[in-house]
Amino acid sequence: MDSSADEKRRSFEAEALPHLDAVYRFARSLTRDAQRAEDLAQEAMLKAYRSWHQYRPGTNARAWLLTIVRNTFINQYRRQQHEGTSVDLGEMESYTAFPEVQERDPEGKFFDRIVDEEVLRAIEELPEEFREVVVLSDLEDLSYAEIAELLGVPVGTVKSRLFRARQALQRKLYEYAVEMGYIKARAK
Amino acid sequence: MNCHEAAARVYEYLDRELTPEVALEIERHLEACPACYDHFEFQRAFLELLARRGAAIRAPEELRRRVEELLHKDQARRNTAE
Repeated sequence: MDSSADEKRRSFEAEALPHLDAVYRFARSLTRDAQRAEDLAQEAMLKAYRSWHQYRPGTNARAWLLTIVRNTFINQYRRQQHEGTSVDLGEMESYTAFPEVQERDPEGKFFDRIVDEEVLRAIEELPEEFREVVVLSDLEDLSYAEIAELLGVPVGTVKSRLFRARQALQRKLYEYAVEMGYIKARAK
Repeated sequence: MNCHEAAARVYEYLDRELTPEVALEIERHLEACPACYDHFEFQRAFLELLARRGAAIRAPEELRRRVEELLHKDQARRNTAE
């Protein structure tokens, strides 16, 4: 017999399960640990399943799931960690690698030589406020408005964090590329 | 729009978060300014790298299996309770 529970499970499998990769990626960026990321992702998916009746069909299921991941993380995981990893985001200087590479590699081809794991590591080294916006925007393709709602901050904050997060990440990846010899440092 | 103003909006432009009017102003500036054009293309390459490398991170199969099993168990428990 087809119960409402079967119906719920079918719709969850069709609309939520395809976002498991995104759930895991976000969990990974929050916990910075593969095993804890799996635990967090699993717990968030179960919570999502139990509150699936609250999901409004037609809205962004990925954003809805990622909100649950973050709330679960804040409630259960971050309590165990020390707070105070937050940096003064206003203090970071403006940076782009472009002037460094403008003459030798204006198309940024050196980026292609940087491997997956290195990009992930660079993201994981960012302060949490930066990590969140980069992952939500650049990996999960959420809009500024969706990110603002998920984080509970104004759109302007998302915009400025994202700008600085990408600059910080670009600097890390450029420095890594120089270190690896993918591109030569500009002669002083 | 000058170079400084264009550079300040580079990500909003690439993220398609600008109003059509401002996006058009940026495009006019890029047509007239090769240096900014190159800078925008460089930033585009950077964002594409992040998206591409990000997509390579996938949930482990073991996690997928565990989640599916959990849903099944949860449903079975609720069906019994009904």
